[in-house]
Amino acid sequence: MTDTYILGLAMHPPSAWIADKRLEEMVFDTAEAALKDARIARAELDHVTIATCDELDGRSISSMLLSAPAGAYLKDEIKTTDSGLIGLCLEVMRIESGRFHLGLLSSWNKSSKAPFEDVMRMRCEPFYTRDVGLNMSIADGFFAQAVSGAYGISESDVNGAIQSSYKQASKNERGMRPTVPSLEQIRTSPYVSVPLRKIQQAPVTDGGVSMVICSGAWLSKHPDRRPLARLSGLAWRVDNYQLGGARLSGLLGFKETFRKAVAMSGLQNFSQVDLIELDSQTGFHEVAYRRALDLPSTCQVSPSGGPFAQNPYFCTGLVHAAEAVLQVSGRAGAVQVPGAKRAAAHGCHGFAQQGNAVAIFEGA
Amino acid sequence: MPKNRVAVIGVGETVFKNNIVDKTYVELAQEAAKAALDDAGLTPDDIDAVVFSMAPTEFMGVNDVEKWAVDSVWASGKPFMRVHTGGATGGSALHAGYAHVASGIYPTVLVVGADRVTETPDAQHVLNLIWDPFYEQDFALNTVTMTALSTQRYMHRYGTTEEQYARVVVRSRKNALNNPYAHLKGKITVDDVMKSPRMSWPYKLFDICPRSAGGAAVVLANEEVTKRRCSRPAFINGIGGMTSTVFMGDRVGPFADAELSDEAEFVSAGKEAYAQAGITNPMKEIQVVELYDPFSSVQFPQLESLGFCERGQAQNLSDEGAFEMGALLTVNPSGGTLCSNPIGVTGLVRVADAALQIMGKAGEGQVAGVKNALSTAIGGSVQFVNLTILGADYV
Repeated sequence: MTDTYILGLAMHPPSAWIADKRLEEMVFDTAEAALKDARIARAELDHVTIATCDELDGRSISSMLLSAPAGAYLKDEIKTTDSGLIGLCLEVMRIESGRFHLGLLSSWNKSSKAPFEDVMRMRCEPFYTRDVGLNMSIADGFFAQAVSGAYGISESDVNGAIQSSYKQASKNERGMRPTVPSLEQIRTSPYVSVPLRKIQQAPVTDGGVSMVICSGAWLSKHPDRRPLARLSGLAWRVDNYQLGGARLSGLLGFKETFRKAVAMSGLQNFSQVDLIELDSQTGFHEVAYRRALDLPSTCQVSPSGGPFAQNPYFCTGLVHAAEAVLQVSGRAGAVQVPGAKRAAAHGCHGFAQQGNAVAIFEGA
Repeated sequence: MPKNRVAVIGVGETVFKNNIVDKTYVELAQEAAKAALDDAGLTPDDIDAVVFSMAPTEFMGVNDVEKWAVDSVWASGKPFMRVHTGGATGGSALHAGYAHVASGIYPTVLVVGADRVTETPDAQHVLNLIWDPFYEQDFALNTVTMTALSTQRYMHRYGTTEEQYARVVVRSRKNALNNPYAHLKGKITVDDVMKSPRMSWPYKLFDICPRSAGGAAVVLANEEVTKRRCSRPAFINGIGGMTSTVFMGDRVGPFADAELSDEAEFVSAGKEAYAQAGITNPMKEIQVVELYDPFSSVQFPQLESLGFCERGQAQNLSDEGAFEMGALLTVNPSGGTLCSNPIGVTGLVRVADAALQIMGKAGEGQVAGVKNALSTAIGGSVQFVNLTILGADYV
């Protein structure tokens, strides 16, 4: 259990291509909106944490131009490069260290700026996998093959899950409001990496998210401020680089990360969690994740629509955290889960989910 | 005061040189990690979380290269994150590791990284890409020309000469003779520096750091683990950091919040760290500094902003020998960044070398009676700065 609270947040409206703003403007607008949501002036912040990816931002040290729009001018700022949700992990530890008390966390991804799969292919080490041409879609195809065998997943299971995700995403006013595809459209969509079909992948979008985060000590000194949520549990983990069968099909990292976050929250299992926002980048992920967690019927899965609502790939996990906070603070709008008290957010990163992170929030 | 005290209990470095042809990138990181674990008397299973230090991955040509290194640094199955703040990365990674332990969430953390800057034909071409694509990239800006501009301004303001910078190089190369890991070392003269090829006024070749390959690691632990595992740790008593604007023009003139040529972001970052560490007179209370100094001109403004002397005085103290080994303040006994610059871990090397001085493990380069040591790191357009204060005792 932590003594860290979410004071305010903002998400930039997603789009397949945000063409009317520079990345700096996107980041500034989101950070400013989060500060307004929290009723905090930038001058009050004692630190800033950034999570972003140089390669997807198209700059060698992207925070050089983006730290100031993210509110970090003349602040103690650190950037992590794994994912938006890992940024939350770092931010929480900075608060929990007792050294900092009021911070702004920002993460973004203008996916339309970079040739996404080229960036992913350059992740391959040069000796074995680069010449193969491995990229994100192919890695997810390997994953799909592995979990199909391990969890007995059929194509109709996947297609049904995809349609459900799109239906849920279509209700989320903060998302892309996608058109729901028919089962026939999904079934006849072209393969991108067998057995994975194109419509079974969550489309990548532009987007960004910022959160104002404070310590319990800060709240004690500001009794007029009411936080949106308390962060009760947090866990993250990385697994082997190699795409071996055991890693792909076992989902060990995924399950262990959830187990540790639940334990940190002081819970026994998911029966006390009202909803989970899963980072299901494909329909195979969605079905495999649900089966791996063996969730009770009382726990709703991805009411926001998950990555099918918006998928600014690098920060999708932090978008899920924002959606979870909105749920426990009763601000989730059309996708609100009635009476939601506790919500979990999941994010992953690396080829075929080499890294996983989970944050659990409860209403404050 | 952090919730939990933090100490360095193990340090590991590889040799730094132009090319290390017998090891891959991940093997370099592993060599550093193993050295730090051995120094701490730990095994990989004793580590609870790993922080990876790596700046632009374009230098060595694999995006998100830390993911490739996961297995090599025994991070699989553990919490793991990479930190990247340009040249300041190593210092920021140390601060992130500090947060892991100080928060009470992880008792023992490995901070590790490696770089192979020479994998790219010319790092300065990569470094041109760090600037704004619309306004600045076409100006042939890179880290050499950028710092040359701020150095010209410093020289104009304080009357510094090229010879005074050359003496910094001579001292650094001499100190590096005591450092078995240093890339450049040797007995050179002011004349040698002055006669080296002109690069970007006032810089000559010898005023500029090498492009190094190598790795570094430290093991951080909480008070309980430190007591059990290490008889002479380096306690982290203060940390400070500051981010400024990328735009150099906004950092000069009467309305600048922090003057570019003074590296004035260190003033407030230093005050914050000194307050935590109980330092009121840095020159009297700190015996060793390991400064991030990729250019000969970077030491003086740092020393002044960090309160070791008045503005414009560091050059005179340098001339008088105040920064020599065992003198008033020993500056960069390792040879510093001027002698080794594996950019993605250089800030961590600075911390490691400062910790070695506190732990009494600096070998031929050991300064006698070190109670407090300070390390710095700088990144971006001299816009990311951080420092760490290590002590022989907890504050």
